[in-house]
Amino acid sequence: MSAEKLATLEDAAALVRDGDTVAIQNMATQAAPMALVRELIRQGRKELGVVCLVGGIPVDWLAAAGAINRLIGAAVSMEQFGLCQRYRKAVESGAIRVEELSETALNARLGAGARNLPFLPTRGLIGTDLIDVNDNLVMLDDPFGGPSVVACKALIPDVALVHAHKADRFGNIGYEPTALWPDLGIMPKAATTVIVTVEEIVDSEVLRADPDRTVLPGFMVDAVVEAPFGAHPTSFFPRYGYDTAMHLEWIGSARDDEAVAGFMEKYVTGPADHAAYLEVVGGAERLAAVEAWE
Amino acid sequence: MSDWQNSPPAEDWTIDELMIARLAACFADGDQACNGMASFVPVSAFWLARLTHAPDLVWLAGAVGLEPRPDRVPASTLEAPLWRDSIMYVEQYGDFWTIALNGRWLTKFCVGSAQLDRFGNGNNSIIGTDYHAPRVRLPGTAGLGDMGSIGKALYYWNPNHNPRSLVENVDFISCAGYLGGGSERADAGLEGGPELVITNLCVLDFHPDTRHMQVASLHPGVTFDQVQEATGFELPAPEGRLPTTAVPTVEQVRLIREVIDPDNMRRREFGG
Repeated sequence: MSAEKLATLEDAAALVRDGDTVAIQNMATQAAPMALVRELIRQGRKELGVVCLVGGIPVDWLAAAGAINRLIGAAVSMEQFGLCQRYRKAVESGAIRVEELSETALNARLGAGARNLPFLPTRGLIGTDLIDVNDNLVMLDDPFGGPSVVACKALIPDVALVHAHKADRFGNIGYEPTALWPDLGIMPKAATTVIVTVEEIVDSEVLRADPDRTVLPGFMVDAVVEAPFGAHPTSFFPRYGYDTAMHLEWIGSARDDEAVAGFMEKYVTGPADHAAYLEVVGGAERLAAVEAWE
Repeated sequence: MSDWQNSPPAEDWTIDELMIARLAACFADGDQACNGMASFVPVSAFWLARLTHAPDLVWLAGAVGLEPRPDRVPASTLEAPLWRDSIMYVEQYGDFWTIALNGRWLTKFCVGSAQLDRFGNGNNSIIGTDYHAPRVRLPGTAGLGDMGSIGKALYYWNPNHNPRSLVENVDFISCAGYLGGGSERADAGLEGGPELVITNLCVLDFHPDTRHMQVASLHPGVTFDQVQEATGFELPAPEGRLPTTAVPTVEQVRLIREVIDPDNMRRREFGG
Protein backbone atom coordinates (compact mmCIF):
# COMPACT_ATOMS: atom_id res chain seq x y z
CA MET A 1 0.00 0.00 0.00
CA SER A 2 1.37 3.37 -0.98
CA ALA A 3 1.58 6.29 1.39
CA GLU A 4 -0.77 9.22 1.06
CA LYS A 5 1.04 12.40 -0.03
CA LEU A 6 -1.82 14.91 -0.10
CA ALA A 7 -0.98 18.12 1.74
CA THR A 8 -2.16 21.68 2.05
CA LEU A 9 -0.13 24.39 0.34
CA GLU A 10 0.76 25.75 3.77
CA ASP A 11 2.06 22.43 5.09
CA ALA A 12 3.90 21.60 1.87
CA ALA A 13 5.68 24.96 1.82
CA ALA A 14 6.63 24.42 5.47
CA LEU A 15 8.85 21.54 4.31
CA VAL A 16 11.17 24.24 2.96
CA ARG A 17 13.49 25.61 5.68
CA ASP A 18 15.30 28.92 5.85
CA GLY A 19 18.63 28.57 4.07
CA ASP A 20 17.55 25.66 1.85
CA THR A 21 18.66 25.34 -1.76
CA VAL A 22 15.41 25.12 -3.72
CA ALA A 23 15.18 23.92 -7.32
CA ILE A 24 12.30 25.65 -9.11
CA GLN A 25 10.78 24.43 -12.36
CA ASN A 26 10.58 27.42 -14.71
CA MET A 27 11.36 28.38 -18.28
CA ALA A 28 11.16 32.18 -18.64
CA THR A 29 7.36 32.65 -18.68
CA GLN A 30 6.45 28.97 -18.42
CA ALA A 31 5.52 26.26 -15.95
CA ALA A 32 6.64 27.73 -12.62
CA PRO A 33 5.16 26.41 -9.34
CA MET A 34 3.93 29.90 -8.49
CA ALA A 35 1.41 28.97 -5.79
CA LEU A 36 4.28 27.42 -3.80
CA VAL A 37 6.55 30.40 -4.47
CA ARG A 38 3.88 32.79 -3.20
CA GLU A 39 3.34 30.62 -0.11
CA LEU A 40 7.07 30.59 0.65
CA ILE A 41 7.06 34.39 0.50
CA ARG A 42 3.92 34.56 2.69
CA GLN A 43 5.62 32.33 5.25
CA GLY A 44 8.61 34.68 5.26
CA ARG A 45 11.24 32.16 4.20
CA LYS A 46 14.77 33.65 4.19
CA GLU A 47 18.25 33.01 2.79
CA LEU A 48 17.06 30.55 0.20
CA GLY A 49 19.19 29.49 -2.73
CA VAL A 50 17.38 29.03 -6.05
CA VAL A 51 18.29 26.51 -8.73
CA CYS A 52 16.64 27.11 -12.09
CA LEU A 53 17.24 26.61 -15.78
CA VAL A 54 15.77 29.91 -16.96
CA GLY A 55 14.21 31.74 -14.03
CA GLY A 56 11.48 34.29 -14.64
CA ILE A 57 8.90 36.00 -12.45
CA PRO A 58 9.24 33.61 -9.46
CA VAL A 59 12.92 34.57 -9.15
CA ASP A 60 12.03 38.25 -9.36
CA TRP A 61 9.30 37.96 -6.71
CA LEU A 62 11.58 35.99 -4.37
CA ALA A 63 14.27 38.65 -4.89
CA ALA A 64 11.73 41.41 -4.22
CA ALA A 65 10.74 39.68 -0.97
CA GLY A 66 14.38 39.41 0.11
CA ALA A 67 13.95 35.65 0.34
CA ILE A 68 17.01 34.54 -1.66
CA ASN A 69 20.73 35.16 -1.39
CA ARG A 70 22.10 32.87 -4.12
CA LEU A 71 21.11 31.49 -7.48
CA ILE A 72 22.44 28.59 -9.54
CA GLY A 73 21.13 28.70 -13.09
CA ALA A 74 21.67 29.18 -16.81
CA ALA A 75 19.70 32.42 -17.22
CA VAL A 76 17.19 34.71 -15.56
CA SER A 77 14.85 36.46 -17.97
CA MET A 78 11.16 36.99 -18.62
CA GLU A 79 11.89 36.97 -22.37
CA GLN A 80 9.46 39.42 -24.01
CA PHE A 81 8.94 41.14 -20.66
CA GLY A 82 12.64 41.79 -20.22
CA LEU A 83 15.16 41.29 -17.46
CA CYS A 84 14.09 40.53 -13.89
CA GLN A 85 14.83 43.93 -12.37
CA ARG A 86 14.61 43.08 -8.66
CA TYR A 87 16.88 40.09 -9.15
CA ARG A 88 19.25 42.16 -11.24
CA LYS A 89 19.40 44.93 -8.65
CA ALA A 90 20.07 42.42 -5.86
CA VAL A 91 22.88 40.78 -7.85
CA GLU A 92 24.46 44.14 -8.67
CA SER A 93 24.34 45.14 -4.99
CA GLY A 94 25.89 41.84 -3.91
CA ALA A 95 22.75 40.63 -2.09
CA ILE A 96 22.41 37.64 -4.42
CA ARG A 97 25.45 35.60 -5.47
CA VAL A 98 25.16 33.94 -8.87
CA GLU A 99 26.60 30.64 -10.02
CA GLU A 100 25.99 30.89 -13.75
CA LEU A 101 26.10 27.58 -15.61
CA SER A 102 25.49 26.60 -19.18
CA GLU A 103 22.53 24.28 -19.70
CA THR A 104 24.67 21.15 -20.05
CA ALA A 105 26.70 22.11 -16.96
CA LEU A 106 23.53 22.59 -14.89
CA ASN A 107 22.16 19.31 -16.21
CA ALA A 108 25.48 17.61 -15.39
CA ARG A 109 25.53 18.96 -11.82
CA LEU A 110 21.94 17.83 -11.23
CA GLY A 111 22.48 14.55 -13.10
CA ALA A 112 25.45 13.72 -10.89
CA GLY A 113 23.40 14.59 -7.81
CA ALA A 114 20.53 12.37 -8.98
CA ARG A 115 22.81 9.39 -9.74
CA ASN A 116 25.01 9.57 -6.66
CA LEU A 117 28.12 10.46 -8.68
CA PRO A 118 30.79 12.98 -7.56
CA PHE A 119 30.53 14.80 -10.89
CA LEU A 120 29.53 14.44 -14.52
CA PRO A 121 31.51 15.94 -17.38
CA THR A 122 30.48 18.30 -20.15
CA ARG A 123 32.22 19.68 -23.21
CA GLY A 124 30.27 22.93 -22.91
CA LEU A 125 31.82 26.07 -21.40
CA ILE A 126 35.41 25.28 -22.47
CA GLY A 127 37.09 28.57 -23.39
CA THR A 128 34.61 30.71 -21.45
CA ASP A 129 35.34 32.69 -18.28
CA LEU A 130 32.54 30.84 -16.45
CA ILE A 131 34.87 28.03 -15.42
CA ASP A 132 37.38 30.34 -13.71
CA VAL A 133 34.79 31.97 -11.43
CA ASN A 134 33.21 28.69 -10.31
CA ASP A 135 34.76 26.21 -7.86
CA ASN A 136 32.18 23.61 -8.86
CA LEU A 137 33.63 23.39 -12.40
CA VAL A 138 37.11 21.94 -12.97
CA MET A 139 38.92 21.11 -16.22
CA LEU A 140 39.70 17.41 -16.31
CA ASP A 141 42.01 15.37 -18.56
CA ASP A 142 40.31 12.55 -20.40
CA PRO A 143 41.74 9.38 -18.81
CA PHE A 144 41.40 7.73 -22.23
CA GLY A 145 43.57 10.32 -23.96
CA GLY A 146 40.94 12.47 -25.69
CA PRO A 147 40.32 16.20 -25.30
CA SER A 148 39.77 17.65 -21.83
CA VAL A 149 36.29 17.99 -20.38
CA VAL A 150 34.73 20.08 -17.62
CA ALA A 151 33.91 18.17 -14.43
CA CYS A 152 30.66 19.54 -12.97
CA LYS A 153 30.31 18.80 -9.24
CA ALA A 154 27.18 17.01 -8.07
CA LEU A 155 24.37 19.29 -6.95
CA ILE A 156 21.73 17.99 -4.56
CA PRO A 157 19.08 20.65 -3.93
CA ASP A 158 17.35 20.40 -0.57
CA VAL A 159 13.96 20.75 -2.20
CA ALA A 160 12.52 20.68 -5.72
CA LEU A 161 9.29 22.55 -6.48
CA VAL A 162 7.36 21.26 -9.48
CA HIS A 163 3.99 22.03 -11.02
CA ALA A 164 2.20 19.30 -12.99
CA HIS A 165 -1.18 18.60 -14.54
CA LYS A 166 -2.37 15.67 -12.46
CA ALA A 167 -1.50 13.50 -9.52
CA ASP A 168 -3.18 10.82 -7.50
CA ARG A 169 -3.24 11.08 -3.72
CA PHE A 170 -0.16 8.84 -3.53
CA GLY A 171 1.95 11.44 -5.34
CA ASN A 172 2.24 9.73 -8.72
CA ILE A 173 2.56 12.67 -11.08
CA GLY A 174 0.92 12.80 -14.51
CA TYR A 175 1.88 15.21 -17.25
CA GLU A 176 -0.26 16.07 -20.26
CA PRO A 177 1.49 16.20 -23.65
CA THR A 178 3.73 19.28 -23.67
CA ALA A 179 7.32 20.34 -24.04
CA LEU A 180 9.39 18.76 -21.32
CA TRP A 181 12.05 21.05 -19.91
CA PRO A 182 14.98 19.61 -17.97
CA ASP A 183 13.53 20.96 -14.75
CA LEU A 184 11.15 18.04 -14.76
CA GLY A 185 13.61 15.59 -16.29
CA ILE A 186 16.24 15.89 -13.60
CA MET A 187 15.60 18.43 -10.81
CA PRO A 188 13.16 16.37 -8.74
CA LYS A 189 15.38 13.30 -9.09
CA ALA A 190 18.36 15.17 -7.66
CA ALA A 191 16.56 16.90 -4.79
CA THR A 192 16.21 15.49 -1.28
CA THR A 193 12.60 16.62 -0.88
CA VAL A 194 10.09 16.98 -3.71
CA ILE A 195 6.94 19.10 -3.52
CA VAL A 196 4.48 19.05 -6.39
CA THR A 197 1.45 21.20 -7.03
CA VAL A 198 -1.02 19.97 -9.62
CA GLU A 199 -3.94 21.34 -11.54
CA GLU A 200 -6.08 18.49 -10.27
CA ILE A 201 -5.94 15.46 -8.01
CA VAL A 202 -7.32 12.47 -9.87
CA ASP A 203 -8.09 8.86 -9.12
CA SER A 204 -5.15 6.51 -9.74
CA GLU A 205 -7.22 4.89 -12.50
CA VAL A 206 -6.83 8.07 -14.55
CA LEU A 207 -3.04 7.68 -14.44
CA ARG A 208 -3.28 3.96 -15.18
CA ALA A 209 -5.08 4.77 -18.41
CA ASP A 210 -1.97 6.62 -19.66
CA PRO A 211 1.00 5.27 -17.69
CA ASP A 212 3.52 6.63 -20.21
CA ARG A 213 2.43 10.09 -19.07
CA THR A 214 3.33 9.43 -15.45
CA VAL A 215 6.56 11.38 -15.07
CA LEU A 216 7.38 10.99 -11.39
CA PRO A 217 6.68 7.97 -9.17
CA GLY A 218 4.93 8.60 -5.89
CA PHE A 219 7.83 7.29 -3.80
CA MET A 220 9.94 10.20 -5.08
CA VAL A 221 7.37 12.78 -4.01
CA ASP A 222 7.00 14.06 -0.45
CA ALA A 223 3.92 16.23 -0.79
CA VAL A 224 1.34 16.84 -3.47
CA VAL A 225 -1.05 19.79 -3.40
CA GLU A 226 -4.05 20.54 -5.57
CA ALA A 227 -3.64 24.09 -6.87
CA PRO A 228 -5.61 24.85 -10.02
CA PHE A 229 -3.92 27.63 -11.99
CA GLY A 230 -0.97 26.98 -9.69
CA ALA A 231 1.50 28.20 -12.34
CA HIS A 232 -0.28 31.53 -12.88
CA PRO A 233 0.93 34.08 -14.06
CA THR A 234 3.28 31.78 -16.00
CA SER A 235 1.83 29.52 -18.67
CA PHE A 236 1.08 25.85 -18.27
CA PHE A 237 0.52 24.18 -21.60
CA PRO A 238 -1.96 22.98 -22.67
CA ARG A 239 -4.13 24.30 -19.82
CA TYR A 240 -3.46 28.05 -19.91
CA GLY A 241 -1.22 30.76 -21.28
CA TYR A 242 0.98 33.28 -19.50
CA ASP A 243 -0.77 36.32 -18.09
CA THR A 244 0.51 39.20 -20.20
CA ALA A 245 -1.30 41.85 -18.18
CA MET A 246 0.21 40.71 -14.89
CA HIS A 247 3.72 40.47 -16.32
CA LEU A 248 3.30 44.00 -17.68
CA GLU A 249 1.99 45.24 -14.33
CA TRP A 250 5.00 43.68 -12.64
CA ILE A 251 7.61 45.17 -14.99
CA GLY A 252 5.80 48.49 -14.67
CA SER A 253 6.34 48.30 -10.90
CA ALA A 254 9.67 46.56 -10.65
CA ARG A 255 11.99 49.58 -10.84
CA ASP A 256 10.23 51.46 -8.04
CA ASP A 257 10.48 50.29 -4.40
CA GLU A 258 7.10 51.66 -3.37
CA ALA A 259 5.34 50.19 -6.41
CA VAL A 260 6.99 46.83 -5.74
CA ALA A 261 5.79 46.89 -2.12
CA GLY A 262 2.26 47.66 -3.31
CA PHE A 263 2.34 44.90 -5.90
CA MET A 264 3.65 42.31 -3.47
CA GLU A 265 1.05 43.25 -0.85
CA LYS A 266 -1.77 43.11 -3.38
CA TYR A 267 -0.89 39.83 -5.07
CA VAL A 268 1.52 37.87 -2.92
CA THR A 269 1.44 38.60 0.81
CA GLY A 270 -2.06 40.10 0.96
CA PRO A 271 -4.24 37.22 -0.29
CA ALA A 272 -4.69 34.68 2.53
CA ASP A 273 -4.36 31.65 0.27
CA HIS A 274 -4.24 30.47 -3.33
CA ALA A 275 -8.00 30.79 -3.83
CA ALA A 276 -7.89 34.38 -2.57
CA TYR A 277 -5.02 35.10 -4.95
CA LEU A 278 -7.04 33.86 -7.92
CA GLU A 279 -9.89 36.20 -6.91
CA VAL A 280 -7.54 39.18 -6.62
CA VAL A 281 -6.15 38.38 -10.05
CA GLY A 282 -9.61 38.75 -11.53
CA GLY A 283 -11.41 35.52 -10.76
CA ALA A 284 -13.24 33.40 -13.30
CA GLU A 285 -13.23 36.02 -16.03
CA ARG A 286 -9.46 36.51 -15.97
CA LEU A 287 -8.78 32.78 -15.69
CA ALA A 288 -11.02 32.08 -18.69
CA ALA A 289 -8.92 34.55 -20.66
CA VAL A 290 -5.63 32.82 -19.83
CA GLU A 291 -7.26 29.47 -20.60
CA ALA A 292 -8.01 30.86 -24.06
CA TRP A 293 -4.31 31.89 -24.43
CA GLU A 294 -5.39 35.52 -24.85
CA MET B 1 5.69 26.58 -53.18
CA SER B 2 6.03 30.20 -54.21
CA ASP B 3 7.94 31.30 -57.33
CA TRP B 4 10.84 32.58 -55.29
CA GLN B 5 13.55 31.80 -57.84
CA ASN B 6 12.40 34.32 -60.43
CA SER B 7 11.53 37.09 -58.03
CA PRO B 8 13.29 40.43 -58.62
CA PRO B 9 15.00 42.45 -55.88
CA ALA B 10 12.51 44.33 -53.73
CA GLU B 11 12.58 48.11 -53.70
CA ASP B 12 10.73 48.71 -50.45
CA TRP B 13 12.70 46.26 -48.26
CA THR B 14 13.44 47.18 -44.68
CA ILE B 15 16.56 46.33 -42.68
CA ASP B 16 14.90 43.58 -40.65
CA GLU B 17 13.87 41.87 -43.89
CA LEU B 18 17.37 42.17 -45.32
CA MET B 19 18.91 40.61 -42.21
CA ILE B 20 16.35 37.79 -42.21
CA ALA B 21 17.00 37.02 -45.90
CA ARG B 22 20.78 37.08 -45.36
CA LEU B 23 20.55 34.74 -42.38
CA ALA B 24 18.14 32.46 -44.25
CA ALA B 25 20.80 32.02 -46.95
CA CYS B 26 23.11 30.45 -44.34
CA PHE B 27 20.76 27.48 -43.90
CA ALA B 28 20.29 24.67 -46.42
CA ASP B 29 18.32 21.48 -46.93
CA GLY B 30 19.75 18.82 -44.65
CA ASP B 31 20.59 21.29 -41.89
CA GLN B 32 18.84 21.32 -38.55
CA ALA B 33 18.21 24.66 -36.87
CA CYS B 34 17.00 25.55 -33.39
CA ASN B 35 16.09 28.80 -31.69
CA GLY B 36 16.01 30.12 -28.17
CA MET B 37 14.37 33.06 -26.43
CA ALA B 38 13.50 36.36 -28.14
CA SER B 39 14.86 35.12 -31.48
CA PHE B 40 12.54 36.72 -34.01
CA VAL B 41 15.21 37.20 -36.70
CA PRO B 42 16.44 33.56 -36.62
CA VAL B 43 12.90 32.16 -36.42
CA SER B 44 11.83 34.26 -39.41
CA ALA B 45 15.00 33.25 -41.28
CA PHE B 46 14.46 29.50 -40.73
CA TRP B 47 10.86 29.86 -41.79
CA LEU B 48 11.80 31.88 -44.90
CA ALA B 49 14.43 29.29 -45.88
CA ARG B 50 11.83 26.51 -45.52
CA LEU B 51 9.38 28.38 -47.76
CA THR B 52 12.02 29.00 -50.45
CA HIS B 53 15.41 27.37 -51.03
CA ALA B 54 15.49 24.91 -48.13
CA PRO B 55 12.11 23.17 -47.72
CA ASP B 56 13.83 20.30 -45.89
CA LEU B 57 15.59 22.47 -43.32
CA VAL B 58 14.61 20.87 -40.02
CA TRP B 59 13.46 23.28 -37.34
CA LEU B 60 13.51 22.59 -33.61
CA ALA B 61 11.38 25.43 -32.30
CA GLY B 62 12.38 26.71 -28.88
CA ALA B 63 14.72 23.70 -28.78
CA VAL B 64 11.69 21.59 -27.82
CA GLY B 65 9.27 21.36 -30.77
CA LEU B 66 10.21 19.46 -33.93
CA GLU B 67 8.76 20.76 -37.21
CA PRO B 68 6.27 23.20 -35.67
CA ARG B 69 3.39 24.75 -37.59
CA PRO B 70 2.68 28.13 -36.00
CA ASP B 71 0.30 30.26 -38.05
CA ARG B 72 2.57 33.30 -37.62
CA VAL B 73 5.52 34.42 -35.51
CA PRO B 74 4.07 34.83 -31.99
CA ALA B 75 5.11 37.25 -29.24
CA SER B 76 7.45 34.66 -27.72
CA THR B 77 9.86 32.35 -29.54
CA LEU B 78 9.93 30.00 -26.55
CA GLU B 79 6.27 29.70 -25.64
CA ALA B 80 3.69 27.13 -26.75
CA PRO B 81 2.09 29.16 -29.58
CA LEU B 82 5.35 28.56 -31.49
CA TRP B 83 5.71 24.81 -30.87
CA ARG B 84 2.28 23.48 -29.90
CA ASP B 85 1.64 21.73 -33.24
CA SER B 86 5.06 20.05 -33.50
CA ILE B 87 5.50 16.51 -34.76
CA MET B 88 7.58 15.67 -31.67
CA TYR B 89 8.17 17.28 -28.31
CA VAL B 90 11.89 16.91 -27.82
CA GLU B 91 12.53 16.34 -24.13
CA GLN B 92 15.25 18.80 -23.31
CA TYR B 93 17.37 17.08 -20.70
CA GLY B 94 17.78 13.79 -22.46
CA ASP B 95 16.98 14.42 -26.13
CA PHE B 96 17.71 18.00 -27.10
CA TRP B 97 21.17 18.14 -25.57
CA THR B 98 22.00 14.70 -26.91
CA ILE B 99 21.10 15.91 -30.39
CA ALA B 100 23.13 19.09 -29.91
CA LEU B 101 26.18 17.42 -28.35
CA ASN B 102 26.36 14.46 -30.71
CA GLY B 103 28.11 16.40 -33.46
CA ARG B 104 26.16 15.07 -36.42
CA TRP B 105 23.19 17.36 -36.02
CA LEU B 106 22.48 21.01 -35.38
CA THR B 107 25.87 21.99 -36.76
CA LYS B 108 24.86 25.66 -37.04
CA PHE B 109 23.61 27.90 -34.26
CA CYS B 110 22.36 31.50 -34.21
CA VAL B 111 23.58 33.63 -31.32
CA GLY B 112 22.26 36.92 -30.00
CA SER B 113 24.75 38.48 -27.62
CA ALA B 114 24.72 41.68 -25.57
CA GLN B 115 28.45 42.14 -26.28
CA LEU B 116 30.49 40.65 -29.11
CA ASP B 117 34.20 41.23 -29.54
CA ARG B 118 36.68 41.38 -32.43
CA PHE B 119 37.43 37.65 -32.14
CA GLY B 120 33.78 36.62 -31.98
CA ASN B 121 33.54 35.97 -28.26
CA GLY B 122 30.07 36.64 -26.86
CA ASN B 123 28.96 37.97 -23.49
CA ASN B 124 25.50 37.65 -21.97
CA SER B 125 26.75 37.40 -18.37
CA ILE B 126 27.90 40.70 -16.86
CA ILE B 127 29.05 44.21 -17.71
CA GLY B 128 31.87 45.33 -15.45
CA THR B 129 35.15 43.95 -14.16
CA ASP B 130 34.05 41.91 -11.13
CA TYR B 131 31.88 38.88 -11.88
CA HIS B 132 30.50 38.86 -8.31
CA ALA B 133 29.81 42.62 -8.21
CA PRO B 134 28.86 43.49 -11.78
CA ARG B 135 27.88 46.94 -12.95
CA VAL B 136 25.10 45.26 -14.95
CA ARG B 137 23.81 41.73 -14.52
CA LEU B 138 22.81 40.36 -17.94
CA PRO B 139 20.40 37.40 -18.33
CA GLY B 140 23.07 34.69 -18.40
CA THR B 141 24.68 32.31 -20.84
CA ALA B 142 21.82 29.74 -21.10
CA GLY B 143 22.71 27.52 -24.06
CA LEU B 144 25.34 29.83 -25.55
CA GLY B 145 27.98 28.67 -23.09
CA ASP B 146 27.51 25.22 -24.58
CA MET B 147 27.02 26.05 -28.25
CA GLY B 148 30.23 28.11 -28.41
CA SER B 149 32.33 25.18 -27.22
CA ILE B 150 30.87 22.11 -28.94
CA GLY B 151 31.92 22.58 -32.56
CA LYS B 152 29.02 24.59 -33.91
CA ALA B 153 29.29 27.17 -36.69
CA LEU B 154 28.04 30.32 -34.96
CA TYR B 155 25.96 32.97 -36.72
CA TYR B 156 25.63 36.12 -34.67
CA TRP B 157 22.81 38.50 -35.39
CA ASN B 158 22.86 42.06 -34.05
CA PRO B 159 20.04 44.44 -34.98
CA ASN B 160 21.71 47.31 -33.11
CA HIS B 161 25.28 47.69 -34.37
CA ASN B 162 26.96 50.19 -32.02
CA PRO B 163 30.21 50.55 -30.05
CA ARG B 164 28.58 49.13 -26.91
CA SER B 165 27.54 45.89 -28.55
CA LEU B 166 30.59 45.41 -30.82
CA VAL B 167 33.56 45.84 -28.51
CA GLU B 168 37.30 45.25 -28.63
CA ASN B 169 37.19 42.76 -25.74
CA VAL B 170 34.06 41.46 -24.08
CA ASP B 171 33.93 42.12 -20.33
CA PHE B 172 33.40 38.40 -19.76
CA ILE B 173 33.40 35.45 -22.17
CA SER B 174 30.16 33.53 -21.83
CA CYS B 175 30.20 32.17 -25.40
CA ALA B 176 33.54 31.00 -26.76
CA GLY B 177 34.51 32.49 -30.13
CA TYR B 178 38.09 32.56 -31.33
CA LEU B 179 39.20 33.51 -27.78
CA GLY B 180 42.40 35.61 -28.20
CA GLY B 181 42.47 35.12 -31.96
CA GLY B 182 44.87 33.22 -34.20
CA SER B 183 45.00 29.53 -33.26
CA GLU B 184 43.79 30.00 -29.66
CA ARG B 185 40.43 28.37 -30.24
CA ALA B 186 41.94 25.35 -31.97
CA ASP B 187 44.67 25.14 -29.32
CA ALA B 188 41.94 24.90 -26.67
CA GLY B 189 40.68 21.79 -28.47
CA LEU B 190 37.57 23.51 -29.83
CA GLU B 191 36.20 22.92 -33.31
CA GLY B 192 33.79 25.13 -35.26
CA GLY B 193 33.48 28.76 -34.26
CA PRO B 194 32.02 32.07 -35.42
CA GLU B 195 31.22 32.20 -39.14
CA LEU B 196 29.30 35.40 -39.70
CA VAL B 197 27.99 38.45 -37.90
CA ILE B 198 24.90 39.93 -39.51
CA THR B 199 24.09 43.44 -38.24
CA ASN B 200 21.79 46.25 -39.29
CA LEU B 201 24.75 47.87 -41.11
CA CYS B 202 26.78 45.09 -42.66
CA VAL B 203 27.87 41.47 -42.69
CA LEU B 204 31.16 40.60 -41.03
CA ASP B 205 33.26 37.46 -41.10
CA PHE B 206 36.56 36.38 -39.56
CA HIS B 207 40.02 36.41 -41.15
CA PRO B 208 41.09 32.78 -41.66
CA ASP B 209 44.48 33.30 -39.95
CA THR B 210 44.13 36.09 -37.42
CA ARG B 211 40.44 35.28 -36.71
CA HIS B 212 39.84 39.02 -36.42
CA MET B 213 36.41 40.28 -37.42
CA GLN B 214 36.29 42.05 -40.81
CA VAL B 215 33.59 43.50 -43.04
CA ALA B 216 32.40 41.00 -45.65
CA SER B 217 29.69 43.15 -47.25
CA LEU B 218 28.04 46.50 -46.65
CA HIS B 219 24.28 46.86 -46.72
CA PRO B 220 23.03 49.19 -49.47
CA GLY B 221 23.71 52.84 -48.64
CA VAL B 222 26.11 52.09 -45.78
CA THR B 223 29.78 53.12 -45.99
CA PHE B 224 32.80 51.46 -44.40
CA ASP B 225 33.40 54.65 -42.37
CA GLN B 226 29.89 54.45 -40.95
CA VAL B 227 30.50 50.85 -39.89
CA GLN B 228 33.86 51.78 -38.37
CA GLU B 229 32.25 54.61 -36.39
CA ALA B 230 29.61 52.24 -35.03
CA THR B 231 32.20 49.63 -34.03
CA GLY B 232 34.13 49.63 -30.76
CA PHE B 233 37.39 48.39 -32.27
CA GLU B 234 39.44 49.04 -35.38
CA LEU B 235 38.28 47.06 -38.38
CA PRO B 236 40.86 45.97 -40.97
CA ALA B 237 40.82 48.35 -43.94
CA PRO B 238 39.10 46.64 -46.85
CA GLU B 239 41.26 45.49 -49.75
CA GLY B 240 39.48 47.00 -52.71
CA ARG B 241 35.80 47.66 -53.01
CA LEU B 242 33.55 45.85 -50.54
CA PRO B 243 30.59 43.95 -51.97
CA THR B 244 27.04 45.11 -51.25
CA THR B 245 24.78 42.74 -49.32
CA ALA B 246 22.06 41.31 -51.56
CA VAL B 247 18.67 42.86 -50.86
CA PRO B 248 15.68 40.57 -50.29
CA THR B 249 13.49 39.75 -53.26
CA VAL B 250 9.91 40.88 -53.76
CA GLU B 251 8.78 37.36 -52.90
CA GLN B 252 10.93 37.13 -49.77
CA VAL B 253 9.54 40.44 -48.53
CA ARG B 254 5.99 39.28 -49.26
CA LEU B 255 6.53 36.03 -47.39
CA ILE B 256 7.97 37.80 -44.36
CA ARG B 257 5.23 40.44 -44.23
CA GLU B 258 2.20 38.38 -45.16
CA VAL B 259 2.93 34.79 -44.20
CA ILE B 260 5.66 34.57 -41.58
CA ASP B 261 5.36 37.65 -39.40
CA PRO B 262 2.29 39.76 -40.17
CA ASP B 263 2.33 41.09 -36.59
CA ASN B 264 5.84 42.58 -37.05
CA MET B 265 7.26 40.79 -34.02
CA ARG B 266 10.70 40.99 -35.66
CA ARG B 267 10.68 44.76 -35.26
CA ARG B 268 10.88 44.29 -31.48
CA GLU B 269 14.56 43.42 -31.82
CA PHE B 270 15.44 46.72 -33.49
CA GLY B 271 16.16 50.12 -32.00
CA GLY B 272 17.28 48.81 -28.59
